[in-house]
Amino acid sequence: MKKSVCLLLALALMITMTACVGGTAAGSSASAPSTASAQSASASSAASASAAASSSGSASASASTSASASASDTVYHIGICQLVQHVALDAATKGFKEALIAKLGEDKVVFDEQNAQGDSATCATICNQFVADNDDLILANATPALQAAASATSTIPIIGTSITDYATALGLKDFSGTTGTNVSGTSDLAPLNDQASMLEELFPDAKTVGILFCSAEPNSYYQATVIEGILQGDGLTCKEYTFTDSNDVSSVTTTACAESDVLYIPTDNTAASNTEVIKNIAVPAGKPIICGEEGICSGCGVATLSINYYDIGYAAGEMAYDILVNGADVSTMAIQYAPKVTKEYNADICKELNITVPSDYTAIAAN
Amino acid sequence: MLQYFASLNFLTLVKVLPGDIAQGLIWGILALGVFITYKILDFADLTVDGSFATGGAVTVMLILAGVPTPVALLAAVLAGCLAGLVTALLHTMLGIPGILASILTQIALFSINLNIMGKANQAVSVDQYRLVLSSRFNPQAILSGAVFVVLIIAALYWYFGTEQGCAIRATGCTPSMAKAQGININTMKILALSLSNGLVALSGGLTAQYQGFSDINMGRGAIVIGLAAVIIGDVLFSAILKKRQNFAVRLCFVVIGSILYYIVIGIVLWLKMPTNDMKLFTAIIVAIFLAVPYLKERSRSSFTRAAKNGGKQNA
Repeated sequence: MKKSVCLLLALALMITMTACVGGTAAGSSASAPSTASAQSASASSAASASAAASSSGSASASASTSASASASDTVYHIGICQLVQHVALDAATKGFKEALIAKLGEDKVVFDEQNAQGDSATCATICNQFVADNDDLILANATPALQAAASATSTIPIIGTSITDYATALGLKDFSGTTGTNVSGTSDLAPLNDQASMLEELFPDAKTVGILFCSAEPNSYYQATVIEGILQGDGLTCKEYTFTDSNDVSSVTTTACAESDVLYIPTDNTAASNTEVIKNIAVPAGKPIICGEEGICSGCGVATLSINYYDIGYAAGEMAYDILVNGADVSTMAIQYAPKVTKEYNADICKELNITVPSDYTAIAAN
Repeated sequence: MLQYFASLNFLTLVKVLPGDIAQGLIWGILALGVFITYKILDFADLTVDGSFATGGAVTVMLILAGVPTPVALLAAVLAGCLAGLVTALLHTMLGIPGILASILTQIALFSINLNIMGKANQAVSVDQYRLVLSSRFNPQAILSGAVFVVLIIAALYWYFGTEQGCAIRATGCTPSMAKAQGININTMKILALSLSNGLVALSGGLTAQYQGFSDINMGRGAIVIGLAAVIIGDVLFSAILKKRQNFAVRLCFVVIGSILYYIVIGIVLWLKMPTNDMKLFTAIIVAIFLAVPYLKERSRSSFTRAAKNGGKQNA
């Protein structure tokens, strides 16, 4: 039964290939990508197809030539599972795709891009699909996507991006830069140490710092805990103010503004979607906000030491290239962090709050 | 267009099936819970969204603490029962309308789940712990899921045949008549809601193991999937078997509905439809299944028939 299916597929593959060869003979370069896609469609069965073909004598010659031909122009299939549509995550996915396209060429890589619409259980369904497709690599964008992918396969290489802390995400006890499994990738962990010093540098008189984030986001929780430790070590008082969803952002922000001198917001997705609300409360209250990333800072913050999600996505793409083409072993690849960070400030809000920033800060371009 | 069809590989669809069936079986347990409240008790219980995540949270935290997985699942069931009990008490003791009482519990459970996990997301890796099932081993997950489903259906079949089970069914049918027969309908509501949410939490605990993590948001929209499964199962049941059949068969169809739901999602993904529109697809599928029996009924009604057979003459 299985053999006959394989034979059928091998036949179909050969028919499409001869058809396409006929097309290129007529001198149309446009059919080249379609060759690639036809080949790629049955890429998962290509191995079994060539095995089946070798049993039927006359076909074996053409099958082996196609195998040697495809060695140089293999089309890679990559499944992308993104947790939710969101400016930062979209930028990371974009960076990843552009890196691979730049290195492999437009027609050498096929992306199956799916997003779970914020529903973490859907990540499992999507990752099942990728495993069944036998994709060459999976990009998991955001923590639940990575967890679902890691649960679904232990063989297909998984590259994560926008993951704050891999040890927490995967429940690793002894983590030293590499996961030791089929998972690696890039982290969106902001330089928390430097952000804390930035806060202290800009507001030396501040006594109490309010940390504002969404309680449903593990990434924010992790950053809040870390920066709280740093700030408290420097003698500041910290208090966490968490909202559960966008509905209670305004009331929580009001409380936070009333009780603290300066606010800090980590790279929090919910906060990123609600910067307008936060700004309308914090600016009239005269409370400056230091943010974890540029997007939030351009909406409601004073200054940030920001990473760029496009950059970490691009770095993830380069890691994927290493695995796919150079045969790098994913389990020994170290988790990479944001390649560069920039000190930025929000000119409008700084003006309103009468804050002058040192000259090494660059203004965030108005959007 | 041709390229689109060329990119579809039927073999892939076949290979995706085990994953969909495994998920369908696990969510089928949730659907059975929803069936108890929605169909038997006639109570719109939205606690589900919260108790599903509670089940996941309790299971994962206990497994991480070194408790054997079956014991962790049992604790999850008890936690779910407790959640159902809260809804039931809010409704029966304090007179809060059912749907509101369940929403209140659902919201409260968000905070409780956060406290159980200590943070919003907790990983449980199949590499480090002995789990009952995992998406890594789909055939085995189907087997474990099927064992759970069969045991639960058998237990429910027995329970709803006992005097107490019949009393619950009577309470759902006509509360006033049940009361007149000397049934304490409040007690029955408490029992049914606890039982239902216990099953939902079990489903949550299994889902957390299957996907390798428990997340504060994992219950979001669970009630919709549960209702979809119940309705798809019910429509199929009446379409295939026509007449009223054995209660156990009806329960089986609820689980089949849940499996079908996941297969449909698998097909939608396989067709490479934009996942942004997935919720829309879900809504359309459920709406179709809800509308079909109604439209069929209407076309069969005596008025429609009268109109067809010479309505003009009589008018």
